[in-house]
Amino acid sequence: MWLAHPWSFPPSRSLPLPSPTNDAMYHTYRSDLSQVRALVLRHAREAGLAESRANDLVLAVSEVAANTLRHTQSSGTLAIWHDEDKVVCEIHDKGQITDPLAGRYKPAPGASGGHGLWLVRQVCDLVELTSDANGTTVRMHMALRPAAAGA
Amino acid sequence: MDLLTTSVATVESGSEPYTLVELVGEADVTNSDALREVLDAEVAKQPRTLIIDLSGLRFMDSSALHVILRANRAMDRQGGVVALACPRDPVAKMLRLTAADQLIPVYPSVSEASAG
Repeated sequence: MWLAHPWSFPPSRSLPLPSPTNDAMYHTYRSDLSQVRALVLRHAREAGLAESRANDLVLAVSEVAANTLRHTQSSGTLAIWHDEDKVVCEIHDKGQITDPLAGRYKPAPGASGGHGLWLVRQVCDLVELTSDANGTTVRMHMALRPAAAGA
Repeated sequence: MDLLTTSVATVESGSEPYTLVELVGEADVTNSDALREVLDAEVAKQPRTLIIDLSGLRFMDSSALHVILRANRAMDRQGGVVALACPRDPVAKMLRLTAADQLIPVYPSVSEASAG
């Protein structure tokens, strides 16, 4: 079958993500996710993201940062930046996601796992994920003027 | 101050008592083990109804959700019922997205949850 499905590209083969903007804010976390959430909420509000979408971004970032605590022994880094169109949060850690479908299947109701990345993909406008033996980067985008919102 | 505080009460209502667990603060992966211990202890007492008051919960992640789903399974096995009361908007949305609200009834208030 020569026709490539979009999910047939393993994350490790993804192109490197462009660098964050120069005015990105960085925060290193090891155990305190409450502080991570507070930073994301404050920055999202300052950028002008609507309150419910700011809370969505907080949930997404917290779920990804929770994976750092669950799956690695080291700290993770949060970067936040925004431009006139979007707010972007990026989490980087030393973990590796080997499943290219991670977070793409809807977990069964009551499933005892698998909700984290799935929620991230539900609430964000765009999720970019690169992962290899050196670590994982998850970049979460929220548009400031969401396309067709409420349409 | 702890990120998450839990308080437990047995409430004697009209017909029969129920267990009320109140969660205040933020429930995430860093305190989900503690939450599991609290809920496990209450489930082990085999109440007919376990109501979790979410009105004071500012944030809940999937780790906390899994703990609640686990308590719900255990209660279900022993013939009891779990109900959730008064989630704030972000928590209510998360319960909806994960379809947890289809497994565990969600009520606007504790009194409505206790009335079933």
